[in-house]
Amino acid sequence: MTHDPLTETTFAERAREQLAKPFLRTAVPRATDHAANDLRARFADHDYEGLRARGADIRSATIADLQTHLDRLVAAFAANGVQVHMAADAAQARAHIRRICRDAGARRVVKVKSMATEEIELNPALIADGLTVTETDLGEYVVQLDNDRPSHIIAPIIHKTREEVRQSLSRVAGRELPDDASELTGFARETLRDAFMDADVGISGANFGVAESGTVVLVTNEGNGRMSTSMPRVHISLMGIERVLPRLDDLAVMLPLLTGAGTGQLITTYVTMISGPRGTNEPDGPEQMHVVLLDNGRRALLGTEYQDVLHCIRCGACQNVCPVYRQVGGHAYGWVYGGPIGAVLTPLFRGQQDGGELPQASSLCGACDDICPVKIPLHDLLLRLRRQRVDEGAAPFKERLVASVWAWAWSSAWRYRIVSGVASRLMQIGWVSRVLARRGPLAGWALGRSVPMPARRPFHRRRSDD
Amino acid sequence: MTEPAELWRAAPTELRPDEDPYARFLEEVAKVSGTSARCTSAELVEEILGQISYPPTQQIALTADLGDARPVIGRALIDAGHDVYDYERIADDRETVRHLDVTVTGCLAAVAATGSIVTGGSAGRGGALVAPTHICVVEARRVVAGLADLMRLAPRLGAGSMIALQSGPSRTADIEKTLIIGVHGPKRVHVVLLDGVVTTP
Ligand code: SF4
Repeated sequence: MTHDPLTETTFAERAREQLAKPFLRTAVPRATDHAANDLRARFADHDYEGLRARGADIRSATIADLQTHLDRLVAAFAANGVQVHMAADAAQARAHIRRICRDAGARRVVKVKSMATEEIELNPALIADGLTVTETDLGEYVVQLDNDRPSHIIAPIIHKTREEVRQSLSRVAGRELPDDASELTGFARETLRDAFMDADVGISGANFGVAESGTVVLVTNEGNGRMSTSMPRVHISLMGIERVLPRLDDLAVMLPLLTGAGTGQLITTYVTMISGPRGTNEPDGPEQMHVVLLDNGRRALLGTEYQDVLHCIRCGACQNVCPVYRQVGGHAYGWVYGGPIGAVLTPLFRGQQDGGELPQASSLCGACDDICPVKIPLHDLLLRLRRQRVDEGAAPFKERLVASVWAWAWSSAWRYRIVSGVASRLMQIGWVSRVLARRGPLAGWALGRSVPMPARRPFHRRRSDD
Repeated sequence: MTEPAELWRAAPTELRPDEDPYARFLEEVAKVSGTSARCTSAELVEEILGQISYPPTQQIALTADLGDARPVIGRALIDAGHDVYDYERIADDRETVRHLDVTVTGCLAAVAATGSIVTGGSAGRGGALVAPTHICVVEARRVVAGLADLMRLAPRLGAGSMIALQSGPSRTADIEKTLIIGVHGPKRVHVVLLDGVVTTP
């Protein structure tokens, strides 16, 4: 994509733009609380913690021995007649997919929602090759019509109102569609049905790849995942190398964790397990199946203090509970992944220079750690990234100055007393606190809040007086 | 790590040891907005006919996984005035597939704890998917307790290139989180739980 918000704007600028949209701040919490309630209800009689522990064990054992499992996966795919392609980075992944489309003489492509294809910015490359690309997930379809970006891992148009969706679809229809979610969905169904039937290639991601059986697993609700992998004559699945699971059995643990944490469902409407192209006696299905295994910075995380992030199953739950994400939405993060997982992945995949400020966009409340179905210590990872940024000297000068003065003042009892005593006295003077709130370092923070007054007598003094 | 035998304590996608799999299966089908009926082999044709209104003439495809029951169901539907196809004969004919109103399929398995029916690539990927109404015949002996059992059985199901779990009609909540039933997959899923096996009555 030529337009790259991450390098062109700062988090603060993007956040301010998003905060100006009142709908976002009500829509995101409304939708995400719904998922959290459903999750609680579903697991009321069950040991969710026990399931998380199993999920975390499966993921960490798999990632700890990633290469072994990948080798098995590749061998099992090959045995099933799946053509496997290794992509070290986004450019290689795009090149593979473009070549497969070219070799197949493809003209029309249907896509199933996939964060990995967003990550490699696939659509513009295919369109540049003259292909017609249609996103078939309702939300992604609207994102594509509007030339927008998805703002949530599993609910791409959580930031859009029904009216906005109506306007976009009405443009396609060439008439004013009624303001009714059911009618709008019906229109999209009919329009996209032609796309499925006419497509030469279906491109999906992969929620999991099972090494034991050489199976790509897709988890969807609308049925577009099934359509896109059944109708076209070629199926390409782009899979992050970390998505491997050793055994089919593991799905009995990972599926309820993914759907429970993601949408609060017991199971999504469709769970599709694809182990190859159409067999000789099968009535339908693609003649070719390709899997493109995407590294793009993942392998480099193995053996580092960030390895745990590879356990992620992209359920989106950490976004749902993040007090920052709930206010600013996904676009403020500037790249593909938003919320806590985005604040971790973006600096790791895009570098500290571009993504380094994202780990600051967290109150470190730990809500993400508590909800993550595979127990990724997100807030530790955020802290490590913050530290790394300072170590690398990537933090701005002002920030480093404030931090070192702070550290100096608070690291001895007497300096702390003097500094807090002076600060408290000064803040009692009306004009000082007003100026501080308006122009001082607190100005940005004080925009939406009033600056709290320090107590006249600090706590440590009160205790020693008693 | 807890013992695998205890998975049902942790995962709602498994059955408690004391649960009746058939009752739970039908309950879960209802929870995911599917409808269901329970009948004997002798009542099967009547049950399916009752689900498909006439007039008008409906375009109906039947998949091979219905086994011996397929010709019987097919004959009854034709007699009732419908156009009936064997799915594998029309699978490549996009125009016919696009205009199907109903598909009737069997299944390889069904998962009691999740209300899922499981079809395989061997009978066609599209059979359970392409029409607005899908009627699925589930022989009682095919019902398994939960996902763990299904995954254990998966390699031996004879599913071919695809194992597809479907739980109720397709759905989306993309527009302002309003739940809409019926997107790209069927809008109506009717499950017929058959006491006994599919046989020619
Ligand atoms: S980090 Fe955890 S909660 Fe966040 S998307 Fe990944 S798996 Fe889900």
